[in-house]
Amino acid sequence: MSDYSITILNFIAIQAIVACGLNVIVGYAGQISLGHAAFFGIGAYSSALLTTKAGLTFWAALPLVVLITAAIGLVLGMPSLRLREDFLAVTTIGINFIVESVFLYVPFFGGALGLGGIPSIVFFGTRLRGANFLYLCLFFLALVLLISRRFTKSWAGLACFALREEETAASSMGVSPVRFKLMAFVIGTAMAGLGGALYAHQMRFISATDFGFPLSVMMMSMVVLGGIGTLWGPVLGALILGVLPEVFRPLVDYRMLLNAAILLLMIRFQPDGLLGEGSLLRRIFPKRGETSHG
Amino acid sequence: MQLFIEQLLNGAAMGAIYALITLGLALVYGVLRILHVAHAGVYAAGAYAGLYVYSHTGSLLLAVLGAMLFCALLGVLIERLIYTPLLKFPPFVPLIGSIAVFLALEEIFRLVGGPYILSFPAELPFSGITVSGVVISPAIISIYAVSASVLLLLWFIVTKTEFGLAMRATSQDREVAGAMGIDGAFTVSMTFALGSAVAAVAGILVGIYFNQVYPTMGAVPAYKCLALIVVGGLGSLPGAVLASLLLGVGETLLIGYANIPLPRDSLAFIAMIAVLLWRPGGLMGNR
Amino acid sequence: MDDMLLRLDNVSKHFGGLKAVDEVSFSLGRGEILGLIGPNGAGKTTCFNLVSGVYAPTSGKIFFEGASTGGFPPHRMAALGVGRTFQVVKPFATLSVLRNVMVALGQRRYGAVLSSFARWETPALRKEATALLEEVGIADLAEAPSGKLPLGNQRRLELARALALKPKLLLLDETFSGLRHEEVALLSRLVLDVRSKGIAVLLIEHNMKVAMGLSDRLVVLDHGRLLAEGSAEDVRSNPRVVEAYLGKGASSHAS
Repeated sequence: MSDYSITILNFIAIQAIVACGLNVIVGYAGQISLGHAAFFGIGAYSSALLTTKAGLTFWAALPLVVLITAAIGLVLGMPSLRLREDFLAVTTIGINFIVESVFLYVPFFGGALGLGGIPSIVFFGTRLRGANFLYLCLFFLALVLLISRRFTKSWAGLACFALREEETAASSMGVSPVRFKLMAFVIGTAMAGLGGALYAHQMRFISATDFGFPLSVMMMSMVVLGGIGTLWGPVLGALILGVLPEVFRPLVDYRMLLNAAILLLMIRFQPDGLLGEGSLLRRIFPKRGETSHG
Repeated sequence: MQLFIEQLLNGAAMGAIYALITLGLALVYGVLRILHVAHAGVYAAGAYAGLYVYSHTGSLLLAVLGAMLFCALLGVLIERLIYTPLLKFPPFVPLIGSIAVFLALEEIFRLVGGPYILSFPAELPFSGITVSGVVISPAIISIYAVSASVLLLLWFIVTKTEFGLAMRATSQDREVAGAMGIDGAFTVSMTFALGSAVAAVAGILVGIYFNQVYPTMGAVPAYKCLALIVVGGLGSLPGAVLASLLLGVGETLLIGYANIPLPRDSLAFIAMIAVLLWRPGGLMGNR
Repeated sequence: MDDMLLRLDNVSKHFGGLKAVDEVSFSLGRGEILGLIGPNGAGKTTCFNLVSGVYAPTSGKIFFEGASTGGFPPHRMAALGVGRTFQVVKPFATLSVLRNVMVALGQRRYGAVLSSFARWETPALRKEATALLEEVGIADLAEAPSGKLPLGNQRRLELARALALKPKLLLLDETFSGLRHEEVALLSRLVLDVRSKGIAVLLIEHNMKVAMGLSDRLVVLDHGRLLAEGSAEDVRSNPRVVEAYLGKGASSHAS
């Protein structure tokens, strides 16, 4: 497999990790988040700073990165998740813009020039590049999928599904809406932070514009395309949206339009996604997949 | 002092333009409860359409009318093909559809009109004025004049006509309005047409004022105006106007005049969060 | 004084200028069935929402088991032992009937973060949920998609979910509206079974026959105020009550 293909697969794996995080928020708990890229960025910048300015290794920094991202997710989520649907949507967009601005304008984060010189990940003496890095990403992807699956089997997961369906009824059964929405949000943003750390060490150079609102839209598209609330949906979505630009490469000029058109067609005719209930694929291959539904 | 007043006037002009765009968003939200991100695409389409007509006819009047008609149709098309069929799904579904439409429109502008910045060399039939040392350009005068007329017309339509009543009834409770003989589908489409036509005017004004028409000109208003309708109180028309004017003036004064190093585009969102913390329903929201 | 399970003490709920509930006081004892009746717009649903925690009272106090609970959110009231059904049924549509009940059975778990991490699908839980479905008579529909049931079964599911909370007080919100005769009779018996277990019931009902037949006592509301209180007989023959339902002048025609 060529170096180029491996790089693409690395990206896809990292984006799948982040998309899984978004799926916990949007799919499992039914909360809209159009600012997920901001947390991806927070993870990336945290890891970059901890490994360059504080001199930690990737491994030492990783728990801190996840903690920091989750903590910021908690702080931003607390007021936001109390808001009604539409207010929440716009607030998450706002979070994305504001976080991006902070990275862009506060000199500590490198400003417009970004942060460079991020070290490679070293694992028992070997620098992880190329295929080895891919294995690492796949390992973390598997971890994230396991956590997602375990979440759906927990009372917390069941509470989130109930909240997603009927918030009033769920709360009358003892489910505190804010607590469980927040829980899903923290888990989701922590996963995004993990993806961000991997991204920083893959690229070795990051800048604020990598984590803007268009990326949040892309993440959302992955989750929607694959199937909101399904376990493998975000992975499938990341795969398709990662491979598509390569497939359309010859049509360079029309690439973006095609992406938008695909997203539009998808949401218009198959909002449940490729792996969702009632989708075309499911009707052709009626297999009992891993879903979050009863 | 001169500079301050000039900046104030500039800010108010920006605010007026924001108001024209945001009103369309508020109208749409009122009847469909959808965040119409694609509205900014319609706004940009208005600039392109206006430029096209102007460059072929030399008449600004025809350009404005042509653009209004074009955008009204575009708006209704988006509503009928994308939004209305998706109403039965959770709100993020039409929202994503809206974002997809917006992105597609940006690309279409780029492919059809070229990726460059086009100029809108409009000959305004009057010249600027100078009042005690403060220079007011013809573009700013036209912005004030046009937006004031449009706002007045809109106010008249919404409060004094039967259609306006139908719009307000449908936005309160579509079912009940239907029971009273109001055709919900027609009212919704007409609301889109109205909001989109107003956005077209905004597009042309901006095109002339900055002498720039380019594919991504809708990107900033797309999200900034969302923050504005939230600040105004989702669906509140006076709120949308108030929030727009405040932001226009605020942005220009804080950044243009006082040179506070805040990123211009985030100001709207920072203001939104501040307002939401103080008044969770927006400035004039009651929903 | 406070051997009463539920006590409303001069409770008001204002929405802007509208006094939906205006200084209402009544109480409910353990194992009692209290019917909350009144013409449309009387404030009955608002009272329910005040007791179950959806609204906080503008003034006045609500006491549940002697403790002041005004302003507690719904999930806290559920933990305290208040279960409710909804007039417009709210099943968790994508979950099966059985899973709907299982959600409610998790009430103990939702209180603390750690306990909510435990797995929910266990044979013991299945058994408990199935037992509840048997009690209300829809055990055969356990795997059916809850969103697609006919109304009568949906109402029973609502009841099963509320009972899963092992409540001390059950709030029934127009549980009988829109049901056929036989279903009304079946559900009435279920309510009496519930009472025989020591669970108190507060019900809103437009169907006069059902309300008067089931309730030990009735509370009549009109325009947010308490109009009358007492047994079915007392209330039926109260001229002010008749007037409220039928309009002024009707009381003189009342049989």
